[in-house]
Amino acid sequence: MGLHRIRRSMAVATSVMCTSVALLSGCGSDSGSDGGSDGGVTTLTFAASTFGDPGRGPQLEKWLDEFNKSQSAVRVSAAAVPYPTFGQTVLTQMGSGQGPDLIRFDMPEFEAASDAGLIAPLDDLIDVSKYDLLKQPDQFMVHDGRRDGIIFEASNYAMFYNADLISKPPTTYEEFVETAKSLTKGDVYGLAFRQTEAEEAGVWQDIFNYVYGFGGKWSDGKNLTINSPENLKGLQAYKDLYDAKVIPRGADAATFRRMFAEGKVGMELNNGGYVTATRGQNPDLNFSVAPIPFPVRSQGAILAPIVINEASPAKEEAATFIRWALEPANQLKLQEILGASSVATVTQRSPEQLEETPFLKVFDDLTESSLPQIVLGFEAKTPDIRKIVVQNVIAALQGTVDLKTALDQAQEQATQLVG
Amino acid sequence: MRPLRIGLTMRILAVLVVLGVAVFPLYWMIVTALSSNSDLFAEEARLVPDFAQFGVFIDALAEGKALGWLRNSLVIAVGTTALSIGLGIPLGYALSRFSFWGKAFVTVVLLFTQMLPEALMVVPLFSLFRRFDLLDSLTGLILVNSAFVLPIVALILKGAIDGIPRELEESARVDGARPLTVLTRINVPLIAPSIAATAVIAFFHAWNEYVFAVTFIFTPAIQPASVGIANFIGELGTPIQTVMAVAFMFTLPAVVFYLFAQRHVVAGMTAGAVKG
Repeated sequence: MGLHRIRRSMAVATSVMCTSVALLSGCGSDSGSDGGSDGGVTTLTFAASTFGDPGRGPQLEKWLDEFNKSQSAVRVSAAAVPYPTFGQTVLTQMGSGQGPDLIRFDMPEFEAASDAGLIAPLDDLIDVSKYDLLKQPDQFMVHDGRRDGIIFEASNYAMFYNADLISKPPTTYEEFVETAKSLTKGDVYGLAFRQTEAEEAGVWQDIFNYVYGFGGKWSDGKNLTINSPENLKGLQAYKDLYDAKVIPRGADAATFRRMFAEGKVGMELNNGGYVTATRGQNPDLNFSVAPIPFPVRSQGAILAPIVINEASPAKEEAATFIRWALEPANQLKLQEILGASSVATVTQRSPEQLEETPFLKVFDDLTESSLPQIVLGFEAKTPDIRKIVVQNVIAALQGTVDLKTALDQAQEQATQLVG
Repeated sequence: MRPLRIGLTMRILAVLVVLGVAVFPLYWMIVTALSSNSDLFAEEARLVPDFAQFGVFIDALAEGKALGWLRNSLVIAVGTTALSIGLGIPLGYALSRFSFWGKAFVTVVLLFTQMLPEALMVVPLFSLFRRFDLLDSLTGLILVNSAFVLPIVALILKGAIDGIPRELEESARVDGARPLTVLTRINVPLIAPSIAATAVIAFFHAWNEYVFAVTFIFTPAIQPASVGIANFIGELGTPIQTVMAVAFMFTLPAVVFYLFAQRHVVAGMTAGAVKG
């Protein structure tokens, strides 16, 4: 009897507690309006890590507002997903049949999502023959004849340099090293790049330029070539610069990019999107851009497709937004927001743009020699291969293993992974 | 007399050192938030805040986003604390006072849940929450945080109840107290310091939680501050002063809650200490 009474009392107490918590969370205005239609307006979420960029983020949100004002049937709102965990978060959501309706992916995550069938095919939604798409980057948007994405941003890598510190940019690797060494004194560093495992995706982007710039590549399309002599040469150059202490060791990208904007870093290899971001941080910085002075003119490119989530209940409405984005006037506006990046279609830079940013042509001229930062032939496995390579290269940077052994280990582990 | 004074001085010094270590990160956040861009990367670090830069706090609050994040974090943390304590007390009591088949197994299973990293549970819980329509809601986050913190709350409270002599409960029963009265009038006041300690654990767990919050919440308006702050970290740049300003505001409610709870911990420990 007593036990029965205590059970009943505890159940009542627990119910009261749960009710109070539910009421409390009710005060916190739970959302119930994700996706879907509301009063004839379909609300879509668009996730892009770019929304968090100083300079570019606010302008992109204004660009979305232009779409929202252009019609009354579809409303696109920016979904804030933090950049450090963007791919992991969005892929988890999509894998469980949820997530944003529209996503701007980076290539490794795009390939993984495509391979897993998480992206809606666009062939029946968008007639691409109506648009003058840039052929080189666009070829990577199609898998086995199925179009999975449209280029949102294509951005080639080049060498950014502080024109107040460097009057004549280096044109050879030897000059590059010398310039970095001569600039490094006091609180100024000659160069900056990512070198910590916490920034795995960023390290991969950075070492890509060294590998390809020294004639290497991650695969020949059929087999992995992680430990090839060319790759070793390129990554040895990366390690030599790290060992020479010409970079702010331990500084993450957010920190050293701020340092570049404040004139504390002389050179940085980065993509065209960095132009607007740097101006957003310091409009007065006198900087310029030149091709990366490595032996081989081959470098990475950020290809960022916009895709529609296969789980989205409003694919047609999402396609409406992409079709609007592909209109020439909106492509031009997008390109101006993205800085020196290219967009999906062939666009002409205005004389005002070229006058304001004369080095835009440098980026445009690099399009033919730029490659997406994926492992060709093993596209969907790129995130896993990236993890293995970065872990081993960083172990070599930290001196726990020599670089050749590190690359041999990476080759072995990655080969086992891909089978 | 002299050794006494030296001892006192050493103790004061030790307290100041410990205090300095504890408070320094907060101080450094203020200094960084209140630094100009040129000061941030100067050869000699700025050691005192530049109050001329105070506008960064106003700017951070201006859009109202930061206040919204803090309110969401508060709802999640208070909800988690209330739910985990509310369920943890009867669970701890049952484990302490009742004998039932499988009791040892239940205790081990509770411990086992503490060994699973959150990241491992994200995908299965995401699917589960989707089925029960708990995604993109603060209620869902309260539930998942409570599920993670409840075992440790229950085990701590079980240990506290173990330390209460059974004779006290028996005396109350002799006086006609019902079982729930015994729990609420006898045990709960006696384990108040432990409840306060577990409340701190539950509150801080929920306040700082990031992995579930970033994955389960889609709507910016209901993101907690742990995720909101991370939104400042862009692909190509991060406004460091703004991040530090919001991060400083993020620490304050947690510190206030800790100070409030700590008073109860200390009060409970010293209660009755001077009575005969």
